[in-house]
Amino acid sequence: MRLFSRGCESLEAAYLAGADRLDSGERLALEAHARSCADCADALRYGRPVDAALRGAFAPLRERRTIIAPGRVRLAVGLRTPAPTNRWLRVPRFVGRLAEVSVMVGVTLFAVGTSLDPSTRPTSLTPTHSIVQEYFRSQPPVGDIDYVRWLRLVKADAPSTVSDSSRLPMGGRFDYDPIEFDKGSGVLPR
Amino acid sequence: MKTQRDPAAGDTRTDHDLVYAARDGDTVAFDALFYRYRDGIFRLGLAITKDPSAAEEIVVDTFARAHRALARLEPDASLRPWLYRVAVNLSYNRRPRKGLVLSSLDDAVDEPLANEEGSPSRVAEQAELRRFVLGAVDELGPKHRIVVVLHYLNGLNLTEIAEVVGCPVGTVKSRLHYALRRLRTHLAAHPELGIEPSRPIIATGLRAPKPITAPVPIEGE
Repeated sequence: MRLFSRGCESLEAAYLAGADRLDSGERLALEAHARSCADCADALRYGRPVDAALRGAFAPLRERRTIIAPGRVRLAVGLRTPAPTNRWLRVPRFVGRLAEVSVMVGVTLFAVGTSLDPSTRPTSLTPTHSIVQEYFRSQPPVGDIDYVRWLRLVKADAPSTVSDSSRLPMGGRFDYDPIEFDKGSGVLPR
Repeated sequence: MKTQRDPAAGDTRTDHDLVYAARDGDTVAFDALFYRYRDGIFRLGLAITKDPSAAEEIVVDTFARAHRALARLEPDASLRPWLYRVAVNLSYNRRPRKGLVLSSLDDAVDEPLANEEGSPSRVAEQAELRRFVLGAVDELGPKHRIVVVLHYLNGLNLTEIAEVVGCPVGTVKSRLHYALRRLRTHLAAHPELGIEPSRPIIATGLRAPKPITAPVPIEGE
């Protein structure tokens, strides 16, 4: 139910005469109707200047341009250039990537290995005595060269005999001797 | 041998062909679509947001969405209504918030038209007239304003506008009729336009238009 009268049914068409694309028959019919309808004649008469004013007002805006390049759209979408189809062209990239991974793994292992506390290190890292070393240690040195070798073998065991690394000065002297070699092997140099 | 086209020079293929070519990975086809519609979308975004940088972002976002939707786009003849619909939605999402001072739509009219001739005073009068008309358009509600902008700025016909705003053609006609009628009442205040106000409102059942409260800037003040 209509609460208000909307006036003539052709009033809308009269206002839209400039915007709507009427064919010649519809146009003639509308103008013929406007001769007998005051509302439609008024709309036709003043609808045209409104239409012209709007077209003129939007004219400068219709000349506005932008210089955006389609590359911005590609950046927004994340487009990538297609991969080369020849497999051999991928070899340099593969080698480079392999080198990168090798360096990364090496650096990571080095960092992890050096950051371990000595007490948490694996037992395989502690020095072990071989049978050959035990044999040479038990043999008395004969020549100068053998003496040097023997000395090195004995010195290798020296850190294990150190009781404490902290020393405190007392009266100008240390409270105890810093390093004591275990000389209990019974073998002395000549 | 594949021939390279210059996208800026214009591609004669239809939107339908370009969409299908772009779907197959032809970036030149997508660029051709971009160059074909970027200015129109830019103007539409500018008319709604009144911010040139926001309008440029709307252009980029619109085509980014178009690229993502390439697989399901089925344009019969023109891709324009679909693109403009996306642009309108994006523009309304970026409308200026309260307190944000942006340039008005009529700032662009300060630049005289390239083919505008006459004395400086005449050019200034024309610019003032354009500002007055665009100020009246700004006073319209969003539904009526978008219909006016799409028709008079972007040159869309009523059927295309109906596709863009997502309503029947009859509704578009009704909105445009209402907008023109209300603009007529506003523009009657300017004597140079020679427009008389519309007939009494009660007789036609339309609501009374709100008068323009913002002062119209006058040259020299």
